[in-house]
Amino acid sequence: MLKIEEIDAYYGDLQALWGISMQVNEGELVALVGPNGAGKTTTLRVITGLLKPASGDIHFYGHHLDKVAAHKIVELGISQVPEGGKIFTAMSVLENLELGAFVASARKVKDQSLQWVYEIFPRLEERKNQRAGTLSGGERQMLAIGRALMSKPRLLLLDEPSFGLAPLLVEQIFAMITEINRQGVTVLLVEQNVRAALELAHRAYVIENGRIVGQGTGDALLSFESVRSAYLA
Amino acid sequence: MTRKQVTFIALLILIAILAFLPVVVKKDSTINLALLVLLYVSLASSWNILGGYSGQINLGHAAFFGAGTLVTRSLWLSGWNLFPSLLAGGLVAVALALLIGIPAFRLRGIYFAIGTLALAQILYITVGNTLPMISSLPAQSLATYELVPRYYLFLGLTILTTGTAYFLVNSRLGLGIMAIREEEDAAESLGVSALQHKLLALSVSAFFAGLTGGAFAYYHVGYYPQLPFAPEWTFDSMMMAYIGGAGTIIGPIIGAVFFVIVREFLVLKLAELHLIVFGVLFILVVLFLPGGLVGVWGTLQKALARRSRPKEIKLTPTRES
Amino acid sequence: MLEPLVQNLAFGLLVGALYGLAAVGLSLVFGVTKFLNVAHGELLMFGGYASFWIFTLLGIDPFLTLASTIVFLLVIGLVLYKLLFARMVKLTESVKIQNTLLVGFGLSLILQNLALRLWTADTRSITTFYSGSVFTLLGVRFPIVRVASLVIALVTLLALDMFLRRTYTGKALRATVENWEAATLMGIDIQRVYLLSFVLGAALAGVAGCLVSVGYSIDPVMGMNWTLKGLIVMVLGGLGSITGTFVGGLVLGVTESATGFFLSLTYREVVGLVLFVLILVFRPQGLFGTKEG
Repeated sequence: MLKIEEIDAYYGDLQALWGISMQVNEGELVALVGPNGAGKTTTLRVITGLLKPASGDIHFYGHHLDKVAAHKIVELGISQVPEGGKIFTAMSVLENLELGAFVASARKVKDQSLQWVYEIFPRLEERKNQRAGTLSGGERQMLAIGRALMSKPRLLLLDEPSFGLAPLLVEQIFAMITEINRQGVTVLLVEQNVRAALELAHRAYVIENGRIVGQGTGDALLSFESVRSAYLA
Repeated sequence: MTRKQVTFIALLILIAILAFLPVVVKKDSTINLALLVLLYVSLASSWNILGGYSGQINLGHAAFFGAGTLVTRSLWLSGWNLFPSLLAGGLVAVALALLIGIPAFRLRGIYFAIGTLALAQILYITVGNTLPMISSLPAQSLATYELVPRYYLFLGLTILTTGTAYFLVNSRLGLGIMAIREEEDAAESLGVSALQHKLLALSVSAFFAGLTGGAFAYYHVGYYPQLPFAPEWTFDSMMMAYIGGAGTIIGPIIGAVFFVIVREFLVLKLAELHLIVFGVLFILVVLFLPGGLVGVWGTLQKALARRSRPKEIKLTPTRES
Repeated sequence: MLEPLVQNLAFGLLVGALYGLAAVGLSLVFGVTKFLNVAHGELLMFGGYASFWIFTLLGIDPFLTLASTIVFLLVIGLVLYKLLFARMVKLTESVKIQNTLLVGFGLSLILQNLALRLWTADTRSITTFYSGSVFTLLGVRFPIVRVASLVIALVTLLALDMFLRRTYTGKALRATVENWEAATLMGIDIQRVYLLSFVLGAALAGVAGCLVSVGYSIDPVMGMNWTLKGLIVMVLGGLGSITGTFVGGLVLGVTESATGFFLSLTYREVVGLVLFVLILVFRPQGLFGTKEG
């Protein structure tokens, strides 16, 4: 459903991505892993239109994403949980979730979506009137994911959901991500936590210094020698 | 001859013309006009050192100008010699500048701009309320008042200001100052102390504004002490610097000349129109022509140069089909 | 002995409400777009003149024509935004801040001198049949017009608050204040949000201007003074809270009055500015964008 072909991207004069090519098929949970600064977040920014690529194509169900304005990406069915969640701390949990359903199509079914999100994250329902700024790290991440789900996305992009979280919470969050995927949402997961991501994913891509250096199934990559030594030692 | 040498000679000729002006032209009104232009050049140049080169928008430049007038006038009228009074005016302006600069520069963004605006307003209102009476020259000074020496004072001052700006900009310090304007964080990481360079630019800017103020105090027969603190002085300087070309040496000069000429021309017709015209020009420059008139001139030159170059003969290999 | 003081403070409170209203408009625009519109005072001035001329030429009470003044300023805001500020949205942070400051300043110059040319430098004021009326409470005189202005200011801010808290668009605005990128990810069109906030800011300035023209007076050069009042209150009341900003306005008004009463009129004029400079110097964090630097 998502096809990225030969993407080059620049920050000003600085090239960040070289010929990135990836594919995500419906129902899959695909991981994009690599070290810090490899270009994972940049790739996501290109997909969501926050950064326009210098060359290459991005297809999503026939739409050319590189030609779509950033705020219209959600309408097409792609929702991103940005790095750190970036929840609106001055607003309540409920307001954050409501904003997730901002686009017209999602707004109509807002109440249903809310129920769905509360099922996956019961903690959010408990705290629905609390100011988002008072939530703990793990809860914030849950809110960020819940908020992204409110737009009923076909493809969910997750930028380092485990960042800064305690290992137990990471397990929980990843369990929820698996569940979300099982319920039919295609997931593209970007992670520094290579082991956890590879264990979770059906397929994965490895990115280093702005280039894709490897791809395969999660299991295959886990056992692949160079991946082990580079990231899992 | 290099372009630099040509420019230098042109400047010398200009200075010579200006120096001999009072000898050739006896009309006071013309000398007055020239003096006014010099005043504005000096003020705009001094603003430009901070605003154009280091990118710190000073909305309270009038405070330094005014402080200079206040100090110089008081000292001079109380018996001091002119030059120490002028110097004192300049130094007090610097002190004032550091007072607001040291705390304000620690912050980013617009704090400096609005802080200086507020400071200038405070002084403007306070001076207006505490010194509401016109400051007039005592009778004997009036009797011996001569315009020409004052003209030469302004000429010298303007040369000094512009010359200092030139040397500062072309020095290592100048590089540092401009580096901050472009990218403060990057400059800091290279060891350029942003704060020190900003303070330096601010001090030099304030010093010359203060000196100009002092010269103003020496020049004006009678004026309300509040007048030099008026925001118009800041805004006019800013506009001249931008319209002429912020961040260049000649920019403020061109801007000031342009400003005075257009104002004289328009004032004959409609009173406030000149400010609307300048406001529009100013916005146009900020939005579309960041180099000001100097920048436009440069672009024109390049365009003309391209035209006059003989067309290059392209040697392309013939394609084998 | 106490009475003149209380009277004084009452007047301070009444004018403070307008300071607060002016500041809310300024801070709304600043919060969303990060533009500090230094021509805000001039927009306020135009609002005042709009009310004045409608009253003078058509004889309709300014409180009744408030809606038309608002519309007038909405249009002006729209035109100015599209013409000048829209193109600066894409600039990098520091350049954007600098350029919007400069353009705002140029704009204020143009508007000020336009007003001078159109309407002369004379001070104007709207005098209705009830302009002189006061009602007295506990020995303190409250001019009807100014009390009505206070009420209208409160109602306006209440409406704004409802809009921001209850409507989707309002929430989108608040989200943009906090994090425009995250807002974009929600499908919020930032350009539209910027436009809306600027236009709203202009409308708020228009309301304030109308109230000033009835209760006080207007002239073409009042703009900078009011912009500064708005800035001072923004700094006093903190960004992000309508209530906080409004209270900040009241505080400024009362402080000015008290200063004028205990010290002198000169000090009264500068106390706000001095407070402003002091706060900037000693406690600027949490006042303007804490997100930057």
